[in-house]
Amino acid sequence: MKIKFLIVLSLFFVFNLARAQGCSDAGICSIGSSFNGNDEKKNNSIEFATILGKGDADVNYVSAYIGYTRFFNEKWSANAKVTSSYANGSFGGRGSVGDVFLTANYVPVATGSYKWSFTSGLKIPFNQSNLKINDHPLPMDYQSSLGTFDFLGSVNLNYKNWDFNYAVQLPVININANSYFSEYSGTADFVTTNLFERKPDVLLRGTYTINTTNRKFSFKPNLLFIYHLGQDTYEDIYGQRKSIAGSEGLTVNGNLIAGYHFASGNSIEASIATPFVVREVRPDGLTRAWTAGVSYKVRF
Amino acid sequence: MRTIFTFITILMLFGCESEGELTREKIGAMVVSSEATLLFSGTFEPEGGNKVTGTAHIYKEGDSYKLSLKDFSISSGPDLKVYLSKTNRPESFVNLGSLGSGSSQSYTVPEGVSFATYPYVLIHCQQFNHLFASAALKSN
Repeated sequence: MKIKFLIVLSLFFVFNLARAQGCSDAGICSIGSSFNGNDEKKNNSIEFATILGKGDADVNYVSAYIGYTRFFNEKWSANAKVTSSYANGSFGGRGSVGDVFLTANYVPVATGSYKWSFTSGLKIPFNQSNLKINDHPLPMDYQSSLGTFDFLGSVNLNYKNWDFNYAVQLPVININANSYFSEYSGTADFVTTNLFERKPDVLLRGTYTINTTNRKFSFKPNLLFIYHLGQDTYEDIYGQRKSIAGSEGLTVNGNLIAGYHFASGNSIEASIATPFVVREVRPDGLTRAWTAGVSYKVRF
Repeated sequence: MRTIFTFITILMLFGCESEGELTREKIGAMVVSSEATLLFSGTFEPEGGNKVTGTAHIYKEGDSYKLSLKDFSISSGPDLKVYLSKTNRPESFVNLGSLGSGSSQSYTVPEGVSFATYPYVLIHCQQFNHLFASAALKSN
């Protein structure tokens, strides 16, 4: 077990150093495995996390979220999560609350070794993705929300130590009012995203869980494939809607999560992530070259 | 643990901002050279129940054109933009970017824009698609 873990960990860092890019998406990535052990005597949990990240150009991020999960019974649970983000770079520093994610999860009675679950929910933005500094419009990289109401849906499969998630993130209502023009900004580092409209994403994630024999420690290396289904668009200075070439396509992220489980049922997790494949252009600002985060979950 | 939780919650609920090198200068703070040639002028008229005062001027400075607002003030709006427009409605226009906050502001006009085609200056709230003011440009 120890040797297997060390091999996985070594491979991860080799890839990480060779391709120092990073985990990208704020929304769809957060649809998690639905088979995390639920202590039958504790039907509630609160999780809070802080994540550091490095984005395009000189943008650095500090993100946070607070989530609450309620297990109603063996089959049904619900989760609410509020996110926030602070971005700092040549435009200055800008932070704000981002979105609230509301999801419900259903776990049918398991038959055999295969355990399925189904998750659906909404992402609701707290702002219209037009945060400014000193009245200057900011690129999407500095926005705490994508400015869309999204439908989230996922199918999750657990088989022995493997977890697989297939998910969609579908923008349903666009309230994005971003007004950033590259030509008026003084830098060519970010593309114009005036009145930005984004296309859906689909996700496939595979996670392998390694538990130590005393089950205190767990390690979860996972690969995350995200396909952006089409070119995003914006309105140019003449009021004409334009497609952003290269904004569609595949992102592949590698992620490693290490967790420690306390006897009380609480747990702490540390994660690092980086992308191995990225889209040619990422106007939505989901450009993390790497992320490193810590989360703490309290069960009660 | 409760302290940490409370601290993070407070951090999440309140936004913050600080200027950087690309946002330090106020929008519209650019100065038009005293040697620039005045080509067109117009007086702002209010639209949609808003208040506005001031004039709009087009200058030729070297090979470029500048729009200058003088003695300017307007009702506050959430996301006001400066347009050069074909008519006094925001239907076919050139977006010059966000409106600044001073009584004297200047904006660079993109290359290739004809003032015979775009003879109006509009102040328009892009976020809620609401016109605040217009000025018809006349040759000096």
